[in-house]
Amino acid sequence: MAGLYSRAIPARRQIFTASYRDGLLAVHQSPSRKLAAVVPIKYNIRSVFARKVGSLMTIFGVGMVVWASIFAFGLSAGLDKTLKVAADPLDVIVMRKGSTSESVSAVSDEVANIVKELPGIATDREGRKLAASELVIFGYLPRRGKTTKVNVTVRGVVPVSRDLRESLHIVEGRDFKPGLREAIVSRTMSERFEGLGLGDEFVLRGGSFRVVGIFEAGGGAVESEIWTDQTVLAQLVDRTGAMSSMQLRAASKTDQEKLIERIKNDEQIDLNALTEEQYFKEQADQSSLMKIVGGMIAFFLTIGAMFSVANTMYGTIASRAREIGTLRALGFGRTSVLSAFLLESLVLCLLGAVLGCLGALALGDLRTGTMNAATFSEIVFAFDFGPKILLKGAMLAILMGLIGGFMPALRAVRMKVVDSLREV
Amino acid sequence: MKYLPLIFRNVMRNKIRTLFTGASIAVSLFLVVTLHSLLASQDEIMERTKVHDRVAVLHEAGLAGRIPIAYVDRIRKVPGVVCATPMSWFGGNYREEKVQFPQFATDPKEIFNVYEEYTIPADQLKAWQADKSGCVVGSVIARNKGWNVGDKIALQGNIYPVNVEFVVRGIYDGPSTANKEWLLFNFEYLDDKLKKENHEARAGNAGIIMLRAASADAIPAVMQTIENSFASSDAPVKPMTEQQFAQSFTEMMGNVRGFIRYTSMAVVAALLCVAANTMAMSLRERTREIALLKAIGFSQSTVLGLFLSEAVLIGLLGGVLGALGGKLLFASVDLSKVAPGLGLFFIPWKTALGGLALSAAIGFFSGVVPSWRAARMSVVSGLRKVV
Repeated sequence: MAGLYSRAIPARRQIFTASYRDGLLAVHQSPSRKLAAVVPIKYNIRSVFARKVGSLMTIFGVGMVVWASIFAFGLSAGLDKTLKVAADPLDVIVMRKGSTSESVSAVSDEVANIVKELPGIATDREGRKLAASELVIFGYLPRRGKTTKVNVTVRGVVPVSRDLRESLHIVEGRDFKPGLREAIVSRTMSERFEGLGLGDEFVLRGGSFRVVGIFEAGGGAVESEIWTDQTVLAQLVDRTGAMSSMQLRAASKTDQEKLIERIKNDEQIDLNALTEEQYFKEQADQSSLMKIVGGMIAFFLTIGAMFSVANTMYGTIASRAREIGTLRALGFGRTSVLSAFLLESLVLCLLGAVLGCLGALALGDLRTGTMNAATFSEIVFAFDFGPKILLKGAMLAILMGLIGGFMPALRAVRMKVVDSLREV
Repeated sequence: MKYLPLIFRNVMRNKIRTLFTGASIAVSLFLVVTLHSLLASQDEIMERTKVHDRVAVLHEAGLAGRIPIAYVDRIRKVPGVVCATPMSWFGGNYREEKVQFPQFATDPKEIFNVYEEYTIPADQLKAWQADKSGCVVGSVIARNKGWNVGDKIALQGNIYPVNVEFVVRGIYDGPSTANKEWLLFNFEYLDDKLKKENHEARAGNAGIIMLRAASADAIPAVMQTIENSFASSDAPVKPMTEQQFAQSFTEMMGNVRGFIRYTSMAVVAALLCVAANTMAMSLRERTREIALLKAIGFSQSTVLGLFLSEAVLIGLLGGVLGALGGKLLFASVDLSKVAPGLGLFFIPWKTALGGLALSAAIGFFSGVVPSWRAARMSVVSGLRKVV
């Protein structure tokens, strides 16, 4: 297959047609058609494959770097996403003033009843107000295969709590029965913790609970929780007269603003209210260390990879001096040679990016858990290898290709045509 | 040894290439070494504090559980216990700052006996012990927040429903393993405040109890006695050594160790490819030269050794820059200013030297295939070859 690439070339120059075949650059004097000074892309792509081992090594190296960066990005993005998915835009969380998380908050039943009667709270079909006082405490359980224990969030709920999280549904077993020491746990928690399998029993503050159901809630923070009957839980931890926090849904955006305003400023109530979005955003902010670490990994690796891309390109250019000289002699301008070699380094890096992205996707639905820095309890989340994150990784590869390839490409154009043609 | 100049000249023949390979290894190794140090520095601190024979007593239900303050006195009487103090996490918000720093309600008379390696001027300690609403702060946090003796610090309760205000009575210091980012205040101050503001139910929580045992040998017995004597009470406790206690925090962070390992492995694999590629390129250019070396009588093993040493040298160049340079860098900058809680971060020698060894290994393995090929090459075809 011989490709002919021809477009206008400055008229004063001799006119040739270049064809590229099986790694050899052939030159034919062509009839009086005007040629363009664009080096065919095929030339670069074929050059990449002409040096199989060397190119493959570089591609693999870039691929690993892209993979590691995507891994790091996916970790912090996954955590962020979990904290964001939870939010229904109309939901409001009510806590004691000064508390930054539900587990350390306290809202007395008295005040909770006043809040429930405030105007602007949405109702369900039966006319029930969508507002629930909830009790949040920490259990202390070992991860599977580990001996040390970590804090896990246990939520004592009332029937309305369900209406406030429509996404929660039981996928295995059944719901807990009121008045019994039974609990439902999310699938992820069930897989990660000892004693949370369906039918298992776990000890919570000296009481033994049986897991009767497994639920899913479409990602989000709820999937890091254990749910049980509020009355049972309150009895166990000896809590009377006050729950931890309130969860409510406003009827509209304006109602939400008014509600928050009222709860904060009413002297009878004197609590802190914030949208669920805000609540989780603040928690996500506290986990910024992961983002810093992830960014640091990507930054250093990209710089490291740039150097190696530059090396590879220097190598190719040095060994192709004659070819470059030929190209120049044919009349391809400096800009076109420069862009041709930049393109070649881009091709190398993009192949690496593809490899890295595929590697990340091969990890599949990777889940893990860490300590939520705001609540000190376990939060389970899935790595986010969405298109945005993959694109970020690919951008890094482009950066490596452009910056790493620039100096070598510059050298290619600076070579004197006569010298490079003479080179063996 | 006599080949050293030759190896050195070979390393320097293409300066840009050597520089870039070295830089690539250096930057990546710096990253690997830093990541590992995040964990290793914690381990090393724990290893070094082992000599102080401390035990942390936690509620069986973890940090969220309540330990009655009366337990402190009972624990002090346990044979083998030298001294003990409550350390109750206050978790207050300072000004509008999002990130909390550690604040503990504790016993001013005992805390510096338990943390015997921490230092504080005697007059400042006395002043703190005399003033119930006083506090002492670590030298690092004092510097970062600009606190001096006599300043007032107000904290908004987060876990506790009360706001507190302290006067700084002293600034403590300590060896490099000491945590100098604490604010310590009198336990009784918090207790009084809670009672006065009608939160009696919240008062009297010791949080955790930190104790110092008479010797390392006494620790198992002390832990056993404490665990047994509170086993059937309302608040059963779980004693653990200071090291186990610190480990439980690392554990909470989840599989961080695993992730750091995966990332490092990816980095090392990438580096190996890159370095091997460079080495192959550089030897390919020298095909004729190598054939010439062999033609004038250099043996295969000498040629192999020459090029392997060259590869190791390039690897080491990156290692020295990345691993040792990183150690130097973190030793000279203070991280606690930008990232609270990282005040104790440093690169342990073990990790830095490990990084150096890793760089040499990367160099070695990157050179194996190209050098072996070069050594085995037939002289005739090598001499004939046009590169």
